[in-house]
Amino acid sequence: MVDSTREKAISSPLLETKLFIPRPRPDLVSRPRLIERLNQASAGKLTLVSAPAGFGKTTLLAEWLATAEAGKQPAAWLALDQSDNEPALFWSYLIAALQTVRPEFDPGRSTLALLQSLQPVPVETVLSRMLNEVGAVAQDIVLVLDDYHLITAPPIHQGIAFLLDHLPPQLHLVIAGRVDPPLPLSRLRGRAEMAELRAADLRFTADESAAFLNEVMGLHLPAQDVAALEARTEGWITGLQLAALSVQGRDDIGGFISAFTGDDRYIIDYLVEEVLQRQSGDVRSFLLQTSILHRMSGPLCNAVTGRETGQAMLETIERANLFVVPLDDKRRWYRYHQLFADVLQARSREEQPDRVLALHQHASEWFARNGEPIEAIHHALAAGDFERVASLLELVARATIRKSNQSARLLDWLKLVPDDLIRARPVLSTYYAFALLGTGEMDNAAARLRDAELWLEASQRGPAGMVVADQAELRSLPGTIALAQSFRAQALGDLAGTVEHARRALNLLPDDDHVWRGGAALLLALAHWTRGDLEVAQQTHADGVASLRKAGDVALATSAAYDAADLAKARGRLGEAGRIYRQALQFTLEHGDPALPGIADLHLGLSELHCERNEVESATRNLRQSEQPGKHADLRETPYRRCIAWARLRLAQRDLEGAIDLLDEAERLHVPGVVPDIHPIAAQKARVWIAQGVLSEAVDWVRQQGLSADDDLTYMREFGHITVARILLAQGDDRSVGKVDALLERLLDAAEQGGRAGSAIEILVLQALARRLLGDIPAALVPLERALTLAEPEGYVRIFVDEGTAMRDLLRHAVAQCISGVYARGLLAAFHDGVPQPAVSAPAIVAGLAEPLTARETEILRLVAAGMRNQEIADQLVISLATVKRHIANTYGKLGVTHRTEAVARLTS
Amino acid sequence: MSEIHEIRVQGRLDDRWVDWLEGLALTRENDGTTTLTGPLADQAALHGVLNTIRDLNLPIVSVRRVYPDADRPIR
Repeated sequence: MVDSTREKAISSPLLETKLFIPRPRPDLVSRPRLIERLNQASAGKLTLVSAPAGFGKTTLLAEWLATAEAGKQPAAWLALDQSDNEPALFWSYLIAALQTVRPEFDPGRSTLALLQSLQPVPVETVLSRMLNEVGAVAQDIVLVLDDYHLITAPPIHQGIAFLLDHLPPQLHLVIAGRVDPPLPLSRLRGRAEMAELRAADLRFTADESAAFLNEVMGLHLPAQDVAALEARTEGWITGLQLAALSVQGRDDIGGFISAFTGDDRYIIDYLVEEVLQRQSGDVRSFLLQTSILHRMSGPLCNAVTGRETGQAMLETIERANLFVVPLDDKRRWYRYHQLFADVLQARSREEQPDRVLALHQHASEWFARNGEPIEAIHHALAAGDFERVASLLELVARATIRKSNQSARLLDWLKLVPDDLIRARPVLSTYYAFALLGTGEMDNAAARLRDAELWLEASQRGPAGMVVADQAELRSLPGTIALAQSFRAQALGDLAGTVEHARRALNLLPDDDHVWRGGAALLLALAHWTRGDLEVAQQTHADGVASLRKAGDVALATSAAYDAADLAKARGRLGEAGRIYRQALQFTLEHGDPALPGIADLHLGLSELHCERNEVESATRNLRQSEQPGKHADLRETPYRRCIAWARLRLAQRDLEGAIDLLDEAERLHVPGVVPDIHPIAAQKARVWIAQGVLSEAVDWVRQQGLSADDDLTYMREFGHITVARILLAQGDDRSVGKVDALLERLLDAAEQGGRAGSAIEILVLQALARRLLGDIPAALVPLERALTLAEPEGYVRIFVDEGTAMRDLLRHAVAQCISGVYARGLLAAFHDGVPQPAVSAPAIVAGLAEPLTARETEILRLVAAGMRNQEIADQLVISLATVKRHIANTYGKLGVTHRTEAVARLTS
Repeated sequence: MSEIHEIRVQGRLDDRWVDWLEGLALTRENDGTTTLTGPLADQAALHGVLNTIRDLNLPIVSVRRVYPDADRPIR
């Protein structure tokens, strides 16, 4: 079940066909003038190929990509579908297309992770990251989006417009479709950044028509016949192809041509009828029957036609140029030219409407048997067989619900099914409720759950009329319903309800339903965590992770392990947290894809752990490990967690400015998660400000948050209140210090009650410092002793050392009085190691400035002098491009220069 | 409130296409065009029909809204 090969951006058997670059047809009329235009156009941003159906857009592009000149630049192809209108899916496909050219693209799959998050980051952020990667490589790439007219979702158009605005020079976009896309085309035209091929360009010229009819189709018609056909079809390629097929092998060509040119019937109707009449009965009925299929393979056609000739027929039709297009190199999948298929379908419906419904049924059954439930559902809908649709939905429901970017689609389908059918199905009703919870329709969800429950009650008396497609789900149903109710309570902010229903779910779910047991346990753990009951939270959470591992859901188990370690840290158990990280890493090594999302986060957690223990080398090593390109995939939280981990390292190195930069970046990348946000980034920044002595900013933040020393204390605001205590301490006046002791007492009580030893240690440290400020050393040593006792077995270092000389003073007293003597001495040594070691070794190196450069500005200036570009500097220091530019602007200001070269000259002078 | 629309396309269209075109009535004119006439629920329905016409490669000659109680306008 676990795939050890590289995970693709999206796994789907049909994905290959969407990315397949069509092969040029051997029977083409070569069109060098158009090829030349495409070659020249690829220097610009966009080539637009906009013409109605059947003008040979795809064929031309296929021919172009196969030529020698175009072949020098790798090309990616994406054939679009109606169902690609879901933005997350669209961008995922686009990335997958780019990966065909460059497999190492999107190395952390961080772009993908950001796309698939429940509360997505704005698409501009995602696309910027993607474009940076493309721009970082020297090689030119062409990306073709075919059938773009099928895309109608405005967010996608906006994304493409953004793409075009920020397109790196290496990337050339080709958009082919039947409609001018709603993009800023006139602006692109005005700036000569776009080339266009339109119907007028794509029509066959008189010469090309002649070449096609006479040479390719071998008709050898007299010039006036060629002219007549060309005039009637107006050079429309598909029309000419159909006309040629109608003429082939005919005795009275002249008769046909005069009838054809004299008739003003809808041209394709006319011609398809002609062509159909000339086919054998077998071919004709095959064409009509299979026209309902979006994609065709031999076995699928057999299922639909009821005969065994499918594969042979497809190859025959392909040879006869009857508008069938191969979708891969293996003669496996084909599709009809859309227009041809439409006309065939119209005929088919006209001739035998009932048969069409049966055809869809057969197709649906085949897809269901062959593991393509989505296609099966489409055909069942087309067949109007809602019972079947309901059964199929029930079978895919659980898997679909668990993927955040697909539950909306489930909802769309469910809304097409008549209500009474859903009501008769308790399993389906329950998953309907899950989907509704996902879109915030709480009441509707509750109603659906009641429907399901009624069946369960009735079933004790004998279930007449209940319909269930998935018996295994039925066994789990009472527990699944309870789980849904727990989710609902959570969404409504009802903690007590969340706990109650999650507990019920765990009681009711069968022992072997590991997936939902894991889900229920995590939900319960989360609720306890939010309430601040960390001990229970940790135990329940561990149960959840164990269930997920048994369920084989390595990905979810891994990301949950990160949270478990967080819980351990909050309880002051650094050793345990370390064990959790290492055990999770070991588990993924044995069972998972080495590039699994979540592995990077485990390394980040370890890095922070090492920072706390002042093990800077190990911390740095883990940070590097979390970033190995192409090795680890990102969760949506990973980007901002990475910034925070680097910030911690900077703090350990006493580079406060660097830490602030990184925390700024973290704020930009932050995505809310399900786990309570106990250490809001803004609060972390406030603490760095305090350490920098910039109290005003910190005070502003506290005021903004409405925090005060007299508040009621809750776990969620604990970090904020401890920050308030730090501010009071930093202010240092008697009144503040007086207040702080009371606040700290209350905080300590709360922390102890909640089993939060981590917070307790910090609070005790602050108490010690406060009492020292009041001049009462003996009183200060009391909380300090407790802190040392709690901290020693876990190896805490920085929680003491970060408090600077005041703490050093107290620790000396502690050593003198033999309080945790060994440990205290070790801590004192840490002071001697590392009191202010900035990340940059030299201070400001440009002499004679009115305002000296900061350490950060100096660091960046050095990198500029080394020839690095701004983006490279940003990547190196793990900060944003905007931040780099800001520092450089400040630096230039201080140096009184305006250019890079001048600045570098100042550096070396 | 649906309104009567009249869409004219180039080419004579068979009645088999009626189902695809929101049930509009097809009138094959003498000049080689076909007029599609009938009520459409709203703008979305109109755009739907226009999209189908686009996908069938039928060149559009004109699109008009004809008020319900007016006589058929004289060209």
